Amino acid sequence: MDKAASILIIDDEQQIRSAVRNALREVADRIGEAATGAEGLNVAVAERPELVVLDLGLPDSAGVDVCRELRRVLASPIIVLSARHSEDEKVSLLNAGADDYVTKPFSVLELAARVRAQLRRARTASPASPSPMTIHGLSIDPVTRRVDRDGRQIHLTPIEWQILHTLVSAGGRTLTHQQIFDAVWSRQFGSPQQYLRVHITNLRRKIESDPASPRIVITEPGVGYRADVVR
Amino acid sequence: MPTSSADVTTTLSTNPARPSLGSRLASRFGPLALARLYRSRPVLGWVVWLAILAAATVAMYSVQSRIDQAHVVLLYLLIVLGASASGGRALGFTLAFVSFLLIDYFFQQPYYDFFNDKPLDLFVLVTFLTTAIVSTQLLAHAQAQAREARTRAIEVTSLSRLASETLNAGRAEDALVKMVDVIQSTLGVTSCAIWPWMPDRGFGECITRGGIEPKRREPDSLVHRAAERGEPLTLSVDGALGNERTAPGTRELFLPLGAKSGVVGVLVLSDEKPIVFDPPKQRFLAALTYYAALGVERARLVREAEHAAALREADRMKDNLLASVSHDLRTPLTTIKALAQTEALRGDTAAAAIEEQADRLTRLVADLLDLSRMKGDAFHAAPDINTAEDLIGAAQRQAQGLLGDGRTIRTVVDLESPALVGRFDFTHALRIVGNLLENALRYTPPGGSVELGVRRDGDALVFTVADRGPGIPGAESDRIFQPFYRHADTAPDVGRAGLGLSIARRLAEIQQGSLTYEPRPGGGSVFVLKLPAVDIEEAEEQAAAS
Repeated sequence: MDKAASILIIDDEQQIRSAVRNALREVADRIGEAATGAEGLNVAVAERPELVVLDLGLPDSAGVDVCRELRRVLASPIIVLSARHSEDEKVSLLNAGADDYVTKPFSVLELAARVRAQLRRARTASPASPSPMTIHGLSIDPVTRRVDRDGRQIHLTPIEWQILHTLVSAGGRTLTHQQIFDAVWSRQFGSPQQYLRVHITNLRRKIESDPASPRIVITEPGVGYRADVVR
Repeated sequence: MPTSSADVTTTLSTNPARPSLGSRLASRFGPLALARLYRSRPVLGWVVWLAILAAATVAMYSVQSRIDQAHVVLLYLLIVLGASASGGRALGFTLAFVSFLLIDYFFQQPYYDFFNDKPLDLFVLVTFLTTAIVSTQLLAHAQAQAREARTRAIEVTSLSRLASETLNAGRAEDALVKMVDVIQSTLGVTSCAIWPWMPDRGFGECITRGGIEPKRREPDSLVHRAAERGEPLTLSVDGALGNERTAPGTRELFLPLGAKSGVVGVLVLSDEKPIVFDPPKQRFLAALTYYAALGVERARLVREAEHAAALREADRMKDNLLASVSHDLRTPLTTIKALAQTEALRGDTAAAAIEEQADRLTRLVADLLDLSRMKGDAFHAAPDINTAEDLIGAAQRQAQGLLGDGRTIRTVVDLESPALVGRFDFTHALRIVGNLLENALRYTPPGGSVELGVRRDGDALVFTVADRGPGIPGAESDRIFQPFYRHADTAPDVGRAGLGLSIARRLAEIQQGSLTYEPRPGGGSVFVLKLPAVDIEEAEEQAAAS
């Protein structure tokens, strides 16, 4: 895989910046650093990095706000480092436009893997012409809306199709329950949002080879779901 | 109508039997103004009225030849009316009878003799006596009614004053002090006190008209007894105990204050003289105790609300502290781990040891945070509609890293029936099942398997994690859920504080579930997690219908 042109690390701790830099040396050519949220935003606007690693514990501003500002000026993936093990925080970060999060203390290998996955997703994303794809033996054709496993067509309800399509289109990004709900039900009133989990379970029974050990639609506990997209 | 508390005190004080209306009539009807004097000295009244009767008799006797019998009768009737108006029924009756004799003796022929043979004279005498007695009786009745009405009016005034004092006082405790003041002055007793009481916490600080007494004094045993039994108690002048509020000779009265939530306190009234309780006063006392109970209840509710607010604030501060401690400890650990791991990947074994220890420290920090959360009741659940399969899938996925040496997890899920749905907190439930799987795998020999299953049983989703490990001896099977429990064979430095199962049980309980242990038939352990189940078809139909 080609190396990324540039990655920006926003963290106030010099030691963590160098640890992250070490971890990502194999992944990126150029690694920029910023110690505050304001500086990070300036660098992001000036240099258009291909990916941002953002620490939430910045001295000058709330991490969620920096994340939202970054998302406004930049389309590149944002990976957040957080010291808190709070699902609520993860949800608010994803809703604020973050693509992934890593909880401190993290494994450098895991961080590097996540960075790679996000870069791959960003590069292959082609919103103009959705093309057929295969995930763990399941072929999905977004145009004909046809889903097959082992050459046999699987019949999905409209809601199940919408959920699968939404998750697959996100290219492996975790979507929060709210994001999935908004995409599938388009903010219709009176829709039973709480049954999203039931629809996911029914969808898995149709598309997974072992529904009790799902590999295509992955649960991110307390946060949402993602599709394990392998291209 | 008197409204000041001084007037209220005088009229309702210990002996209200003497008519105050009498004094008012007396002052209104000219020469009888003296009546005021003997209001409190009834003997004087008798003397004065008998003197008036004698004087009138002498006066009429001296002009006997020039007056008619009718004049005599009318004057006597006037005197009887005046006497009964100011001196009461007994004086009225006495004067009527004496007048009857005087008329017969001095003013009817034959004079100086009680014998009478003229039917007309007899008729006059009988008519006089009847008229005098009936009018005395009517007057006394009217006076009693007037007195009653007056007492009622005073009661209403006092109660409305009590109510307004209660509402106007700023703090709930100040309201109680005012209330005690009003009760004491209204009933005219020498002391009045309220002891707030709660069945589980006992007595609070005593409230008197002087304010709230600091908690130095303990209430005596009678106050305890009144509160615990919820019945009034009386202590008479001669030291006898009773249960009737109206017991004669009562010197001290202990009244339980009953509100919605049961007995909330005791009202203690005491006086040097016996406290007299006529029916109106009893009625009044009942209303007073009701108000006092409301006052005590209000004070308690206000205190509880303040306490709850303080607890919330403490909780918030604790959460903040936990968050910042967690952040402050994790940030250096992140650096250590990241740098050590980078070096370890290059083959440095010392760095690998550092990384391992950093991981261990991270787990200990997590355990400590959990412990302080558990102690401070800081675990909160956000139950939602979730499916059992989703939880099992996530738990299995999480446990992948723990599988080694051919160990496997076997799931037992019925995929043919509709999905099992429950109302629970997904992350808490996942933590519980994850913890159970981790334990089970630890005691599973290489190549063995752990069984993770779920079924519906009545109102519950029943998750089971079963292993073929050594199992847990019966004596220890409940202790394993206690914090810091460690199996006797476990080395002291396995790197965890032994909180896993106690936290798991706590997490189950805060979402109306349970976590129990049972031995597995054929050897091993089964941990059973029950969580509330939901009937999804019904719920879906309802949602669709709305």
